[in-house]
Amino acid sequence: MNQALNVKVTEEQRDCYQEISNVAMGQAADLLARLLHVHVILPIPVVNLLEVNELRMALSGIESSNSVSGVCQGFIGNGISGEALLIFNDASFNDISKLLKYGGELDTSLELELLMDTANILIGACLRGIAEQLDVVFSQGHPIVLGQHVNLNDLVQANNYRWSKTLAIEINYKIEGFDINCDLLLLFAEDSIDSLNEKVNFLLED
Amino acid sequence: MATKVLICDDSNFARKQMARSLPDGWEVDITFAGNGEEALQAIKAGQGEVVFLDLTMPVMDGFETLENIKVNDMNALVIVVSGDIQPEARQRVKNLGAIDFIKKPINKAKAELILKEYGIL
Repeated sequence: MNQALNVKVTEEQRDCYQEISNVAMGQAADLLARLLHVHVILPIPVVNLLEVNELRMALSGIESSNSVSGVCQGFIGNGISGEALLIFNDASFNDISKLLKYGGELDTSLELELLMDTANILIGACLRGIAEQLDVVFSQGHPIVLGQHVNLNDLVQANNYRWSKTLAIEINYKIEGFDINCDLLLLFAEDSIDSLNEKVNFLLED
Repeated sequence: MATKVLICDDSNFARKQMARSLPDGWEVDITFAGNGEEALQAIKAGQGEVVFLDLTMPVMDGFETLENIKVNDMNALVIVVSGDIQPEARQRVKNLGAIDFIKKPINKAKAELILKEYGIL
């Protein structure tokens, strides 16, 4: 039997996670902006401690009626583990392929390539940014496709979590002047939250 | 006379980090603001000779705050401190009258360098 963990995040810690995410998402957005030659509109990151079954509600940046595609990628290091999810509104791929000047017909396999390429950039840079500030090092697993052209509920349920609670950071990226919208979700495992809080306390005391 | 410094950021942690990064021995009178609206009020009240301004904030973001300072010809030296490090963001804030741009996370060395560069320190 799993012992129920009584994890908590104080308002001061939540604010610190939000600020760390803010810096990390800016670094990731800068890479994307340079790759696509666009301006990325940065949101205020949303940080929440939630039940895994509430995850769907945390994805506020994407309309539930939209067809979506997504990948997930695990990460681990210094007693902290979790998963990063990148979910695209499928309408985005049209503009992304134009911006990257990919020739030819936009089909499922080209969309997959675009999805993997952007996931690689955004997830990698964001995790690196967070790790640097917390003074930890994350190793990343292989990206796994959660689904293409599916609805959001099915996509989120495609992933089976072994935790009941998660510290979720949601970053919704939009690109100015284009119909591109994606959600980057960082989910920290329940049993990592204490270690994370310790790292953050260190920053808060500094 | 102590320099009136205004630190505007929606994050309490970021405000503290900024305040800690101000040079030792610099005589300052610090005011904090959580968004652009509060910042404009503080500047009107004479609390913002030097302003450290974040960009992504609720209520009123940094871009809009800069526009207001410019349009109303308010007397404030604004240094933007932001995680939005895209080249275009930097150019936009300079066009809106910010004297310079510091990439987050802020630290003592970055703050001192910029304050010296503009002869504020």
